[in-house]
Amino acid sequence: MGLRKLLRIARWEVATSTGTIDRKTIAVLLVAVLAAAAGAPAITSGAGQLDAGLYTVAVDDDHQFHDAIDARDSLRIVGSESRADIVVDDDRVRVTDATSGDAALSELRDAIRTYNTRNLRQEDDQTAAFPVFVDLEFVEQGGRTLGTGGDSGDGSGGGSDDGTDGGSGDGTTSDGSDSGGTTDGTGDTADGSGDSSDGGLGSGGSGNGQLPVPDVGVGGGSGAQSGTPGDISAPFPFAALVLAFLFVLPMNFVIQAYGSTIMDERRNRRGELLLVAPVTRTDVVGGKTLPYVGAIAAVTIAIAVLVGGGPLSVLAVLPIGMLFLGLTFVAAMFARSYKELTFLTVSISVFVTSFVFVPAIFTDVTPIALISPLTLVVIDLKGGAVDAGGVLFATAPSLLASTVLFGLGIGIYREEDMFTQLPVHRKALDALAAWIHRPRHVAAMTALFIPFVFVLELLAVAVLFALPLAVSLPAILVLVAVIEEVAKSLHVFAAFEHDRFERSMQTGLVLGLASGAGFFLAEKVTHAVQLVGLDQLEVGQAAFTPSSGVTPLLAVGLFLAPLVLHCVTAAIGAVGASRNARTYGTGLAIAILVHAGYNLGVILLVA
Amino acid sequence: MNAHESTRSDGTIDASRWGGPGVFTTAPSNPAPTMIEVEALRKEYGGFVAVTGSTFTVAAGEVFGIVGPNGAGKTTTLKMLAGLLEPTDGTATVAGLDADDPEMRRNLGFLPEESPLYEEMTARSYLSFFADLYDVPRDTARERIEESLDRLELDHRDRKIGDMSKGMTRKVAIARALVNDPDVLIFDEPASGLDPRTTNYINDFVGELAEQGKTVVFSAHNLYHVEDVCDRVAIMNEGEIVARGTLDAIRDEHGRSAYHVYTDVELEGSVRENGRYKRVVSAFDDIEDVRAAADAAGGQVLDVRTEGSSLEEIFLDLAGDGDDPLGTETEGAEP
Repeated sequence: MGLRKLLRIARWEVATSTGTIDRKTIAVLLVAVLAAAAGAPAITSGAGQLDAGLYTVAVDDDHQFHDAIDARDSLRIVGSESRADIVVDDDRVRVTDATSGDAALSELRDAIRTYNTRNLRQEDDQTAAFPVFVDLEFVEQGGRTLGTGGDSGDGSGGGSDDGTDGGSGDGTTSDGSDSGGTTDGTGDTADGSGDSSDGGLGSGGSGNGQLPVPDVGVGGGSGAQSGTPGDISAPFPFAALVLAFLFVLPMNFVIQAYGSTIMDERRNRRGELLLVAPVTRTDVVGGKTLPYVGAIAAVTIAIAVLVGGGPLSVLAVLPIGMLFLGLTFVAAMFARSYKELTFLTVSISVFVTSFVFVPAIFTDVTPIALISPLTLVVIDLKGGAVDAGGVLFATAPSLLASTVLFGLGIGIYREEDMFTQLPVHRKALDALAAWIHRPRHVAAMTALFIPFVFVLELLAVAVLFALPLAVSLPAILVLVAVIEEVAKSLHVFAAFEHDRFERSMQTGLVLGLASGAGFFLAEKVTHAVQLVGLDQLEVGQAAFTPSSGVTPLLAVGLFLAPLVLHCVTAAIGAVGASRNARTYGTGLAIAILVHAGYNLGVILLVA
Repeated sequence: MNAHESTRSDGTIDASRWGGPGVFTTAPSNPAPTMIEVEALRKEYGGFVAVTGSTFTVAAGEVFGIVGPNGAGKTTTLKMLAGLLEPTDGTATVAGLDADDPEMRRNLGFLPEESPLYEEMTARSYLSFFADLYDVPRDTARERIEESLDRLELDHRDRKIGDMSKGMTRKVAIARALVNDPDVLIFDEPASGLDPRTTNYINDFVGELAEQGKTVVFSAHNLYHVEDVCDRVAIMNEGEIVARGTLDAIRDEHGRSAYHVYTDVELEGSVRENGRYKRVVSAFDDIEDVRAAADAAGGQVLDVRTEGSSLEEIFLDLAGDGDDPLGTETEGAEP
């Protein structure tokens, strides 16, 4: 690869691309993105300001609820009952506006509960303040404990710091006391429950200084770890997630421009003369891609500075950007029209954004969230730190996947694929065969497919798990077998179709063994559970620790059995591929059956 | 030895016109080195054979033409030579290097059939960009670009290519092929779609390049221009080379002689021409039959002339004459 040529092409790409875009438009877009980035922290931190004064409440200054209502941003005290959504009289809460009555009452109830909780937290004697302690325990259907969720950290209503019961010692609600954190147990339910129009103030509790919480219906938690399961929610790093999303947003625009520039090379054979010049295809693609990588890096750094992110955020976002670009490059090489390209780039935007965003929601819940690089951004924005292993776990798959994607695209960056209307499957075979000239290339390519295999299997599980077990389990077993067998054999078939190897059974066996070995080795390497301490979680232990009934010999067998499986099934597919497409299909089907049978056998054996 | 003399395809020289004792074989005293060597070149597209068994050589400084109907495989052959297409089988070397060797491209100038240029660039910036990719020093590139554009009589060099006419665009494309001063030039229908004046200009330009010692391979439909410029020609049909050699050799081997017998009386099958009656016969012995017929009609044979097949006639004979005039191109449509 010639660096000078690559940079020259990059300079040319910048000159021609910016020449086709109105400078004012660029300036406006840039200002908009940066303004959003600059404003986002203020918006997210003051998210509550969005609903400031949403509901109006008429309450006297000396009423016991006055301070609680005044402390709530969403409630605004008004002097006139005619302008109020709810009216708090001496002993009643009355709704004046039926359309917002339920919401206003719920907000009022929550405001009082929150006010109570805040006051209780200031008590010296916390045991007296919160006599009921709740330990949260996530229990799987079937009784196996998956883990213990901690409390919200302050012992309020939910779990105490040490998870023990306090107060009455029996974990029951002390009657008459209406703590902010308990389910209802109190109050006057006679005219409150189920009646959404108004509610009584609730009796009791006044003797211990706590405000009786109006009973307006179904009891619920205060937001701390108490109440019905429906009230309990995982910690959700809302603000950090919104800011993290800002990093991903500009990429959706960058890939539109990038896809178009690649497609432009194919239009009217414009890129033909570059193919005849003394530059490699890697130089051309690298040169055309570099400016967009630079743009993503520049915008990422700018956003990081504006939202308070650090180097970790930038380090995490760049692999996401490369993944966007890699997918777009392949899309632009396969699309047969600009219309198709637009459809593909929109799909890429949706898919990748979802793929990086959803796991990041669970940043504070489980280290599995690190499958998304965006999780690193959330952690960074929250002021946390991640070890090198975690960074590698989060970023390496995206980088590897993007490298593979660029490799596949470069393989078909040539005359007969760029400027023709070849069917997609033909191009796919061309792309797969482009880098295969030796059996070791087969093994390497199989190994490089592992990230894609895992993503597809994850999607398969996500789609099928909701089905009844009798259906989902065999379906998942078969689908996993299909995915893995295709990943091990399709490029072998492509190589045979392009006459890279002699068509013989012996050659098929050799290639099959190479492919199977490559898959096995890569699969084991990716068991990087130690890097993120997944084995410390009961989930990880359940997944990666043999059950008590497994002997050492069996454990060794279970470790090596996949090697035998992958080599055998890959060989079956490869031998079929060595003849023609029909025998490849037959071989693949047999390999899938064998693999699915193996999966089922292992489950029956280990379960 | 002048290559345009009657050299037969087997290398023998027809010396009968010299009045000598017969034919003799002679080898050129200073054979030009082989610049392009193609051996059994084959290209298949998923079962469809676009080119098969193509074998030819091109000497340094030679102008070699490839003619054939649409879909004959001309463009495919040229693209394999230029390293754009990977042959399914066979070999092609250009200036001693494999056609797929990136280093080969340093010494190659390629002009595709269309002119796929970057419309948003000016002629100068476009040529400078490619000069840079060919590692041409900046000063040399500037000088060479201006010289090429002067020779091609291209004005408006700072106009965007997208605003140029087809002829001007074609000239820019030709200039691009020359920016690295290559020894080998491959032109795919250089005059395609151009007006006659520009076509003639380009053909003359090709001749000038040959005089400079450059090796030129080009494909054409217009046989007049092939005859005018080429030292040797290959005729392709349905992916195969059906004839190859100098024009005279091809005429000798594939052409058909015809005898035009002029009489002063009308005979069966004769046509009137300039006050005489002409009857065309293909065999020498048939002239006697005409003479006898003229005698019987009270007339006589006035003149006999020998006419050979034109290249176009040979081309039509070898390439078929019209079942599928458009042919079947192997290159697909663009996105």
